[in-house]
Amino acid sequence: MGILENKFQDNVVVAKLDKLISWARSTSPWYFQFGLACCAIEMMSAAASRHDLERLGMMPRSSPRQADVMIVAGTVTMKMALRVKKLYEQMADPKYVIAMGSCATSGGPYWQHGYHVLKGVDIVVPVDVYVPGCPPRPEALIEGLLKLQEKILEERPLTRKMA
Amino acid sequence: MSVDQEKLIAELVEKGLSGDMDSINAIEDRVLRSKAKSALAKAKRAAKVATKIVPSEKKTLEVSIDDKQPSDNLNQKIGHMIDKKFPGSLDSELNDTHIQLKPDQWFDIAQWLKSEPSLHFDSLQCHTGMDVGDEKLEARYNFHSMTHDHYIEIRIAVPRDNAHIPSIEQIWRIGDWFERETYDMFGIFFDGHRDHRRMLLPEDWEGYPLRKDYEVQETYHGIAIPKVKEGWE
Repeated sequence: MGILENKFQDNVVVAKLDKLISWARSTSPWYFQFGLACCAIEMMSAAASRHDLERLGMMPRSSPRQADVMIVAGTVTMKMALRVKKLYEQMADPKYVIAMGSCATSGGPYWQHGYHVLKGVDIVVPVDVYVPGCPPRPEALIEGLLKLQEKILEERPLTRKMA
Repeated sequence: MSVDQEKLIAELVEKGLSGDMDSINAIEDRVLRSKAKSALAKAKRAAKVATKIVPSEKKTLEVSIDDKQPSDNLNQKIGHMIDKKFPGSLDSELNDTHIQLKPDQWFDIAQWLKSEPSLHFDSLQCHTGMDVGDEKLEARYNFHSMTHDHYIEIRIAVPRDNAHIPSIEQIWRIGDWFERETYDMFGIFFDGHRDHRRMLLPEDWEGYPLRKDYEVQETYHGIAIPKVKEGWE
């Protein structure tokens, strides 16, 4: 969007355009495959034919440049945290992050004694939706994605933000 | 191939087997040279197979044991052999479970353990470290011989502040990652390792986590690392 983003005063045309854009964004959130641990298996299962994420217009991308949503699926170690941050910065705007599973939301089983585990991916990147579970079932992940779609639908990409 | 050529190649192979590679390398004709080299490789392979078969024929380990300590235990037997061949390398009394060695001659001993036909420890099954307290770290090796189907365990204790052990990575290639992991977790340095880096943790991590006195660093690249919390909040 770049130069047009948040530049217009609220009126009927802009509101309708906003709705169109956010609808388009919400129905095709391509996600960045980010399998770090066992949650990745559930993510793959969610993408496979039984749960079929492509119903929601979601399709896995292997490059951060082509992705809109980063699903952080699994334990983020300190070593990986820097790379997660780097990959998030490589994604094009608008970008969203889903923290999938206990490890990505809070450190999970490593909360107390894992010296090497990042206690929640929100320490390094802003998270939009947290999906609880260890690991979450594909249904739970899909609910998280639907919540994200709702969030995207509420956005007003063109309208000027009120101070 | 003419008869002369065959004779020449046979001569060269014999020379090559006795260690003289220069005469083969000195041949001008490329085709002839490569033929000689392949014949040599074939001969070497045949020789290897022949030597491999020999130890498998005698399954039992024939070791002359001192009369002082007659024992059937392999750790004891091999401990004795090591003590005879490498005097002063044992670090403690022999016992049934393991052989305690000093680090100084470890590389030579390891080479001998693999090459000695009556032992022939061709597989390093496990290698790990241990913080045994008393200001000591220990590296432990489990060896197995496919030919003789026998096992031993070797332990090498080193002081915590100067932990250096010769690397056996060039003898058993699996030792490469084993030793890197032990270095990563315990800070035991393996001298002579060709790729001596951390295995799992980042390169710039401070400290060695499996040591008993390990203190987690405060931050890592600006990310705060919370200390151990008391129970769930």
